[in-house]
Amino acid sequence: MAMLEIDDINKSFGGLQAITDLNLKVNEGEIVSVIGPNGAGKTTLFNLITGVYKPDVGDIRFEGNSITGLKPDQIVDRGIARTFQNLRLFTNLTVLENVLIPQHHKLKSTWFSAVFRTPGYLRREQQMREQALEKLSFFGPRLMSFRLYQPVYVLSYANRRRTEMARAMATGAKLLLLDEPSAGMNPKETAEITQIIKRMRDEGGYTILLVEHKMNLVSEISDRVVVLDYGQKIAEGDYQDVVNDPKVIEAYLGKKAEGDEAQNDQLTEGDGRTS
Amino acid sequence: MLDTQKRHRNTILNFAAIGVLIVFLLIIDGIGSVKLEQAFALFAIWGIAAVSLNLINGTTGILSLGHHGFMLIGGYITALLILSSESRARIANSARSQMNEFTLGLSIKNWFEALGLNALATDDTLWLRFIVAIVIGGIISMIFGLIVGIPSLRLRGDYLAIVTFGFGEIIRLLASTRLFAPFTNGSLGFSGVPSEFGKSLWWTFGFLAITVFVMAKLKYSSYGRALQGIREDEIAAEAMGVNLAYHKVLAFAISAFFAGIAGGLWVSWLATARLDVFLFTLTFFFLVAVSVGGTGSVTGVLIGTALVVFVRQYGDPLEESYTLWQWLLAGGVLLLAAAVATLIYRNIRRLRPRLNASIYIVVGLGIIALLIGLFAASGGQLQSEYRAFGMRAIILSALLVIIMIFKPDGILGQAEFNWAWLFRERKDQPTDEERAQDAWLTGPELSKRLEAAETREASAETAGESSEAN
Repeated sequence: MAMLEIDDINKSFGGLQAITDLNLKVNEGEIVSVIGPNGAGKTTLFNLITGVYKPDVGDIRFEGNSITGLKPDQIVDRGIARTFQNLRLFTNLTVLENVLIPQHHKLKSTWFSAVFRTPGYLRREQQMREQALEKLSFFGPRLMSFRLYQPVYVLSYANRRRTEMARAMATGAKLLLLDEPSAGMNPKETAEITQIIKRMRDEGGYTILLVEHKMNLVSEISDRVVVLDYGQKIAEGDYQDVVNDPKVIEAYLGKKAEGDEAQNDQLTEGDGRTS
Repeated sequence: MLDTQKRHRNTILNFAAIGVLIVFLLIIDGIGSVKLEQAFALFAIWGIAAVSLNLINGTTGILSLGHHGFMLIGGYITALLILSSESRARIANSARSQMNEFTLGLSIKNWFEALGLNALATDDTLWLRFIVAIVIGGIISMIFGLIVGIPSLRLRGDYLAIVTFGFGEIIRLLASTRLFAPFTNGSLGFSGVPSEFGKSLWWTFGFLAITVFVMAKLKYSSYGRALQGIREDEIAAEAMGVNLAYHKVLAFAISAFFAGIAGGLWVSWLATARLDVFLFTLTFFFLVAVSVGGTGSVTGVLIGTALVVFVRQYGDPLEESYTLWQWLLAGGVLLLAAAVATLIYRNIRRLRPRLNASIYIVVGLGIIALLIGLFAASGGQLQSEYRAFGMRAIILSALLVIIMIFKPDGILGQAEFNWAWLFRERKDQPTDEERAQDAWLTGPELSKRLEAAETREASAETAGESSEAN
C-alpha cells in the first residue's frame, strides 16, 4: 500500500479548472518530484493535500485513511507537513521558537499545567527542545549555538529556507511536502540542499514530495518525476524518460510549427549572443 | 557564567524585586495619602485589565475592543454577591428599585448561612466572600469570553474588531434592559459596594501579581509560543499543527477571566456598580496602555498603564485656571524642552545637520513666548484667566503621538524586561569563538585574517609574560 494515494481529484476556482482527474501515489521512502510550467497546479496540489483547499471530487488517503476534508492542523497530526514557496516563518520569533511551535500539537499537557510548570510539562518541554536541536542539526552548525536565539528576520534567505525545512520536520511528520526548497539559493547552496534532502530520506526516514524548478536538483535526487500541465498529469516516471517525453517538451517549450525551424535557430543564436 | 548560575541569580533577583516592591508598597501605605494609595490601587486594577487585554491583542494578535463588557460582567456579579444587607434593604425599600425578592437574595452570605457555615457569614470574613464572588465573576466572564471567541474563528482583523466592540456594547446595553434589570438594578446600579478591597494596595497588587505571573508563564510556555505563532502567521501556524479554533478561544477565555477579576476590583474601588463606569473609553485606556507600553510585552503594558493612570489621577492641576502669562511661560518652556529633546535625539541617531531649520523656529517661538510671559505680565490681556478643560486627554494623546513617532512598537516593543537584558547578556550574539566559526562557514578566506589576528594576540601575550618574567 502506498503511503499517500490521490484518487481522481478535481479542483476548480470558479471557471478555472486547476486540477483535473489527478492520480498520484507516493510510496514510503520515496522522493517524488512534481514539475511543470508556471500555473500547472503544483502548489494547488500541495494545498489540496495539506487541507488548505478541499477537493471538489476525489479522495486523498494517507496510510490507508482518508484525509479529505480534514483541517490543516488535523492533517499535520496525521503526519504530513509542508514548507511554503514564499516562506511563511514566524518572523519575529527566534529560530528555536520557530522549531518548537510545530511540536506543540503533540503536547499532552493542559495550559494550566504549562502555566504552573508541572514536572510532566517540564519534561515534555525538554524533549521538545532536544527534538528541535536534533532537527536543526540536520543543517550543520549554521542554525545552532547563538543563531538559535536570533529572531528569524535577521537570518539570510538560505538560512530561512533551512529553518522552514527544520520546522516541517519538527512536526513529527512522515511525509514532507517541500515547495521549491532551493528557490532563491545560489548553486553552491542548491547543491548543499540537494544533499540534505537526500539525507532527510536516508537518515531521517522521511518520504518526500517536492515541487522544484531547478532540473539539476530534480535529476539528482528524484526516484520518480511527475509532470503537471494545466492541472493534468502528462507524464510520470524516471527523470530521463520524462524529460525526453515529447508531451513534456511541448508543455515547456511549445509545439514546433511546420517550417518554424529556421526561426527557432535564429532565436537560439540570438540568445547565445546576448548571454 | 554558567546557565544554572544565571538561573539561580535570576531567582534571587526575582525575590529581591518582590521584596523591594513590598517595601515600596509599605512606604506608600505608611505615607497615608489617600489619593496616592488610590492611584496605586487603580494602577494595579487597570494593570490587570491591560495585561489581560494584551493576551488577545498583543500575544495572539487579535484586535479586541470588548474588554469593558467582560469587566462589566465581573464587576456586577462581584457587587451583587457581596452587597451588604443594609444596601440590599435600601434597594428593596426604594420605589425605583427594579430588583425582586430572588435577585436581592443572591448573596454569598445567604448561601453560607444556608449551608450552616455561620462562621463564614460574619463581617470579619467578608474577605473570603469577596474572593468567592470575584472568582465567580471571573468564571462567568470567562464563559462570555468563550462565546465572543467563537466569531474570531471566522473573522479577521478589522471585521473581528468591530464584532468584539459590538459584543462589549451589547453586554452593557443588555444589562440595562428589563430582562436583566432585576440583576443589575437597571440604570441605578448598586451603591455601597464594600470598597476596602479595591482601595487596598495589598488586595489589588496581590491580584495583579497573580495576573502577571500567569500571563508571563503562559507567554513563555508552549501554549504562548503557539499563540505568538498565530499572531505572526495564521496560515503557517495552522500548517504546523496549531489548532486555531482552540487556541484563539483559549486566549479569549483566559483574558476574559482576568478582565472579570479587574471588573470586580474596579467596582470595589469605585464603591458603586453603575453602567456608566463601563463605557468603551475604559477599553480605550487599556488599548492606549498596551500600545504605548509595547504590544505583546507584559512589563511594557505595565509601564503603559502607569503612564495612563498617573496622568489621569494627577492631571488635575492641568485643568485648573491660569492667567495667560502663566500659560505662555509653560508653553515657552515646553517648546524649549522639545527643542532640547530633539537635539539629543538627533545626536544619538547621528542625524545631520544637528540643528535644522525647524529647531531654530521652535527655539525662537519658545523664547518669544517666554519673553512675552515674563516682561509683559502686567499687560491687561495677559492677566485674564483661562481654563483648559480636557488638558489631561490632550497631554495623554500628545504622549501617545510622540511615542508612536519615535517608538512605533511602544516603549518596550515586543521585548520583555528581564535580568539578562539588564546585564546585557545576549544569547543571540556569537562568542568570539563562534564568530570565527561563522566566518569560516560563510567564507574560509575570512578566517585567515582572524587566524592571523589570533596569532598576533597570542604572541603579544607571550611577549608580555616573558617581560613580566624578566
